[in-house]
Amino acid sequence: MTDTVGSVNLEADSDRTIVTASDVVREYRMSGVPVRALRGVSLSVAEREFIAVMGPSGSGKSTLLHLLGGVDVATSGRVVFLGQDFGRMSVEARARLRLRKVGLVFQRFHLLPMLTALENVELPIAALGVRRAERRDRAASLLARVGLDDRLGHRPGELSGGQRQRVAIARALANEPAVLLADEPTGELDRATSHGVLELFQRLNSEGTTIVVATHDPELAAGASRHVEVVDGRIGS
Amino acid sequence: MLARYSVRELVHRPLRTILALLGVAVATAMLVDMLMLAGGIQRSFAELLSARGYELRISPKGTLPFDTEATIPNFASLMDTLAATNGVAGVGPVLASAVILAHGDGAAPSDLSVRAIALGIDPTEQGLFRLIDGEDPVENEVLLDQPTAEAFGVALGDMVEMRVAGGLDVAGRSAQMRVSGIGEFLYAARGDVPIAVPLEELQLLTGKLDRVSFAMIRVAEDAEAEAVRTELAGAARVEVVTLAGIVAQANERLSYFRQLALILGSVSLIVTSLLVGTIMAVSVSERLGTIAALRAIGISRRSIVGSLTAESLILCALAGAAGLGLGVIVAEYLETILSDFPGLPLAVEFFVLRPESLATAYVLLLAVGSVAGLVPAWRATQLEVATLLHAEEP
Ligand SMILES: Nc1ncnc2c1ncn2[C@@H]1O[C@H](COP(=O)(O)OP(=O)(O)OP(=O)(O)O)[C@@H](O)[C@H]1O
Ligand SMILES: [Mg+2]
Repeated sequence: MTDTVGSVNLEADSDRTIVTASDVVREYRMSGVPVRALRGVSLSVAEREFIAVMGPSGSGKSTLLHLLGGVDVATSGRVVFLGQDFGRMSVEARARLRLRKVGLVFQRFHLLPMLTALENVELPIAALGVRRAERRDRAASLLARVGLDDRLGHRPGELSGGQRQRVAIARALANEPAVLLADEPTGELDRATSHGVLELFQRLNSEGTTIVVATHDPELAAGASRHVEVVDGRIGS
Repeated sequence: MLARYSVRELVHRPLRTILALLGVAVATAMLVDMLMLAGGIQRSFAELLSARGYELRISPKGTLPFDTEATIPNFASLMDTLAATNGVAGVGPVLASAVILAHGDGAAPSDLSVRAIALGIDPTEQGLFRLIDGEDPVENEVLLDQPTAEAFGVALGDMVEMRVAGGLDVAGRSAQMRVSGIGEFLYAARGDVPIAVPLEELQLLTGKLDRVSFAMIRVAEDAEAEAVRTELAGAARVEVVTLAGIVAQANERLSYFRQLALILGSVSLIVTSLLVGTIMAVSVSERLGTIAALRAIGISRRSIVGSLTAESLILCALAGAAGLGLGVIVAEYLETILSDFPGLPLAVEFFVLRPESLATAYVLLLAVGSVAGLVPAWRATQLEVATLLHAEEP
C-alpha cells in the first residue's frame, strides 16, 4: 500500500494467473482399455513465467499441455483459463478461446505446406476477420521478430527446420496470446538450431510472453525459470 | 485465405487433379447427354408433327402410320364426305409410290439412277415439304430435295426420268419430268430419296387411279380436332388419327428411352459423387495432421470444412464446364448415329440442346460435388483434436 502506483501495478501484473489446473485426471480409452495419462495434476501458470515441463516419454507432458491450452478436456478435475472453465465450454467455444489466447507450437511444426511463411502467420489473424492489409503488416512484423524478415515469400518446403519452427512460433504469437504452449519444439532440430529457439523463447519471455514448454532437451529446460517434472501422470517434486 | 489454399492444393497434385477432372468431365458429359435425350426426343417429335398445321391424318383401315403400300380407294367420293364434314378446313391427299429416278440415258459416267419415293401431292394442300427454291411441281414437273439435286447434278429446269418400280402391269412405265423446285422433306429418313410430283400424274403412271396412301387434314380454327376425328371415323371406312394422338403414342414408346436416360443419368451422378468422394477422402486423410493443427490453433470447423469443400467444388466447377462442352459434342456424334435408325424421319432429333438441360446438369453436379467433398471433410473435423495430434507426433 505504501508502494508507488507503478510498482503495485507491476506486482499485480506479474501475479496474474493465466491458467490453473486443479487435480486433473485424463483417461484415454485405447481399444476399450482405459489408459490414465494424467492421474491428478495441479499446476498454476502465472503471467510472464517460463515453465519447462519435463519427464520420461509417455509420462503425460503432451497431455498436460493440451489440457492447459483447452485443446483437450480433463476426465475429472478443472482447468480454468483466464477465469473460464474449459470443462464447461463447447468444442467451438474452446476453439475460439484458443484462437485468441493460446499460442501452440508443435514438434512437427504443422505449417500449411501450400502457403508461404507470411500466409501461414496470417492464417490465425485472418480467422479473426482482420483485413488483408493489416494482417499482412502484423504477420510481417511477427516474422521480423523471429528473425525471418527475409523469408516472407518462402513456403515451408523451402525453409530449414529451424526456420520452419520460427515461422510456427510467429504463427503462435499472431493473435497476441496469453500463453505460448510448445510441445517438444526442438525435438526435430539439431543442437545449434535448438539453441537458437531457446534464445528466441528467452527473448520473447523477457519481452513479456508467458511460455510453457514440454521438452526432453536439457539445454532448453535449463533456460526456463521454473521446472515441473511429470512422472507417470503425476507431478513429481 | 483458405480458398487460395484449396486452389494451391489442387495445383500441387497435378496428376490426381487432372485424373479427377477428366473423370468428372466424362461423367458430366454423360449426364448432359442423358438429360438432352430425356427431354429432347419427344419435343422434337411433337414439333415435327405440328410443323405444318395439319392436325388429322387419315389412312387405310388397319395399316401402320407410315406404310407406303396400302391405299385408300374411291378417294373422290371420300373427298365429298370430307367436304361435308364440319370443321374440315382443307384436305391434302398423298399417294406414295416407289420409283426409280434417273438422269441421262446411262451413256455418260455422270448418269445415275436411284430408288426414290415419289409423293403425289396437291401443291395447294400439302404438309410434307417446305419449298426452298423454285416452284411447286405442276404437270410434268418434279420437286427434289437438295441432296438429290446435288447428287444428280441437276438445276431448276433440267429434266429427269421417273420410272415406276413396283407392280407387274405398270413396272417400267416412265415419264420425263422437269425439275420445278427444291424442297425440304420433313418426314424423310436418312437415305430416303423423296420426290414430289402432282397427284394425278403419279396416279396415272402407277395405275392407282382415284387412290391415295393417306391424307392430311387441316382442322378449322374453331373446331376441335378430336370432335372432327370422331365424326370422320363414323362417316368413312378409314383410319383417322389426330397428330396429338400420334405424339402421345410416340411418347409412350419413347418413355423407355426417357427412363433409360434417367437411369443412366443417375448412374453418372452416382459415379461422380463416388469419384469426388474418394478423391476427397484420400486427400483429407493425407492432411489429418494439418487439419488437427488447424483445429488446435483454433480455426473453426466451419472454415476447415468450407475450405475442403471448396476444393471439391472447384474441381466439379471446372470439370463440369468441360463436361458440358464434351456432352454437347458427344451428343452431336450420337445424333448422327441414331438418325440412321431406319424409318425415322431425319427431322426427329434425339438430343435437343436446351439451356435447361445444361443448367440442370451443372447444378446437379455442383450439388453432388459439394456433398461428396463435405462428408469426408466434416468427418475429419469430428475427430478429437488431441487424439489426432497424438497420432501425428512421433
Ligand atoms: N489421444 C490419445 N489417445 C490415447 N492415448 C493417449 C492419447 N494421448 C496420450 N495417450 C497416452 O497417454 C500417455 C501419455 O502420453 P503423452 O503424449 O502425454 O506423453 P508424453 O509425456 O508427451 O510423452 P513423449 O515424451 O513421448 O511425448 C501415453 O501412454 C500415451 O500413449
Ligand atoms: Mg509428448
